[in-house]
Amino acid sequence: MRYRFPGVIIIVTLVVVIAALLLVVGPTTAQAPAQRGQPAAAAPPRAINGKPNFTGLWQSIGTANYDIQDHSARPGPLFQLGAVGAIPGGQGIVEGNEIPYQPWALAKKKENQANWLARDPEVKCYMPGIPRATYMPFPFQIVQSQKDIAIAYEFATANRVINMGTPREAAVDTWMGTSNGRWDGQTLVVDVTGFNEDTWFDRSGNFHSDALHVVERYTLRSQDVIDYEATIDDSKVFTRPWKIRLPLYRRLEQNARLGEFKCVEFTEELLYGNLRKQAK
Amino acid sequence: MKGRFQMRARNLASLASIVVLTIAGLMLLTSASATGQTPAAPKAAAAKAFTPPKTPWGDPDLQGTFTSDDYINTPLQRPANLGDRLYLTNEEIAAREATIKSTAQTDLQEFAGANARVGTGPPSHWGERAKHPPKQTSLIVDPPDGRMPPLTAEARTRKAGIGAGNNDPRPDSWEDFTYYIRCITRGVTGSIFPVIYGNGTQIVQGPGYVTILQEMVHEARVIPLNVGTHVSGNIRTYMGDSIGHFEGNTLVVDTTNFLAGKTGTGPNGGGTPTSDALHLVERFTRVDADTVNYEVTIDDPKTYTKPWKVAFPIYQEPGYQLFEYACHEGNYAMKNSLSGARAQDKADEAAGKK
Repeated sequence: MRYRFPGVIIIVTLVVVIAALLLVVGPTTAQAPAQRGQPAAAAPPRAINGKPNFTGLWQSIGTANYDIQDHSARPGPLFQLGAVGAIPGGQGIVEGNEIPYQPWALAKKKENQANWLARDPEVKCYMPGIPRATYMPFPFQIVQSQKDIAIAYEFATANRVINMGTPREAAVDTWMGTSNGRWDGQTLVVDVTGFNEDTWFDRSGNFHSDALHVVERYTLRSQDVIDYEATIDDSKVFTRPWKIRLPLYRRLEQNARLGEFKCVEFTEELLYGNLRKQAK
Repeated sequence: MKGRFQMRARNLASLASIVVLTIAGLMLLTSASATGQTPAAPKAAAAKAFTPPKTPWGDPDLQGTFTSDDYINTPLQRPANLGDRLYLTNEEIAAREATIKSTAQTDLQEFAGANARVGTGPPSHWGERAKHPPKQTSLIVDPPDGRMPPLTAEARTRKAGIGAGNNDPRPDSWEDFTYYIRCITRGVTGSIFPVIYGNGTQIVQGPGYVTILQEMVHEARVIPLNVGTHVSGNIRTYMGDSIGHFEGNTLVVDTTNFLAGKTGTGPNGGGTPTSDALHLVERFTRVDADTVNYEVTIDDPKTYTKPWKVAFPIYQEPGYQLFEYACHEGNYAMKNSLSGARAQDKADEAAGKK
């Protein structure tokens, strides 16, 4: 996609450019360049242009993907799977544990939960959206440059690039939303808009509409732990904004790296099996 | 194209990419003038002398959003009558330039004429177009004839998936289609070889990593740098295990551990599926502010009788950005193709009974 270059933008651009050049030039001189030609020896820089470096492989621990609210252990929908298919209990990640649904929406949440396997987009290998991608039982990789920040999620190869430049409006509704980032001191704040209404928050039917607006905050508690917080606002579904909060842990295994979970092939029999040519 | 066109909004959304481009441009101007170079120097000379900017942690900075659109009409394999000639002549380039201009005019037409004959395909302006004439006669640069080396005897027995717009042979199931049509992947080479649209590649670097994101089927390759070894051969994936390092200003990416029998090495990952012995070596070199030269050597002794090499430039264009390509999520084409095939089965059966 491309568009014309209006004259006004040149002025805005120049201002941003000068600011950016100052930012780039300043801390660069103070920082030793990473060692090259040596396998994995050099420790990663703790800061990039004075901001904490979030680059790494991260993952949540817990049962939030089953249910973001406090929940007891319960049987799964397929008895054949026995203990393997049961749902572990656990503490939720919702501040105050209450999701302020409007009455109709609470009814729909319950209906969703009763029809979990038929309705959960995760079952179909659809992109999980934000914030769910953060606390699925898969790692994700943050790659932070001096400009934009890429996040690649292992599940379904979902990904997004957080625009750290002049904020841009969501051009179209998408599964992963449009992410604009900024720094609030040492905290990375990501404003995500432009969602469709097709993703869920968990396997318990918690849902939203296309009015969803998520503001994420990433703060390093230590080198290997991020305090993650997201404010969720959706005036079509909830009566007020609400928050989730959880820690994210760095994957510390030697040679830890992002795997590939392209799950489409695991869903095709489910999605298209009725259209397979039948043996005579 | 079976409903895989995504909505491409045209609005003032990508101010940020303009800013990034301008920053890159200004930084280059600064560094170029410091070393006494003129940015307008011809490409060949610039390729030798150009010094790319560095990231704050000292790696050559390849970042940006690039497209291979200029090579849309350049075939992977060179037409036999061109022999060993890799480059187009000045006359041929001028002719391409004229075609690009006239096509741009045609694309301005929003509505078909009252008596126009229209098919079921998309209107011409839906596809992406080359903006500048390509220099090459083929994407394959080695062997010198620009042709894929012969397949091994075993590889000739492998079945290639059914591509877009092809309903013969009739699909028994989704498994008969290419991995692209199934919205799974186009493989490493298929994700960067130019096709009719969605040719965007975005590079984001961090300390110790390079990420290569591709719009179509939303790929994101996270390539660790200087880690030395691949993961165990027991771990196999569609996109393989990529490790990288810089040789001078060139990013070299070595990829192995592929699944066997998935994508091929044609555009969109079509053609004869490659084997578990596939080994790719890619080289990314920024040769001027807006251009990265891409090169890939394809070595798969179980599939091709010798290695071969593809090379072409990808370049930045003001305002070009990646959009989310939710392929599987909206793959109505798969359901429709299969239900169409089953309807044909039924019709055949009914006709046979009469």
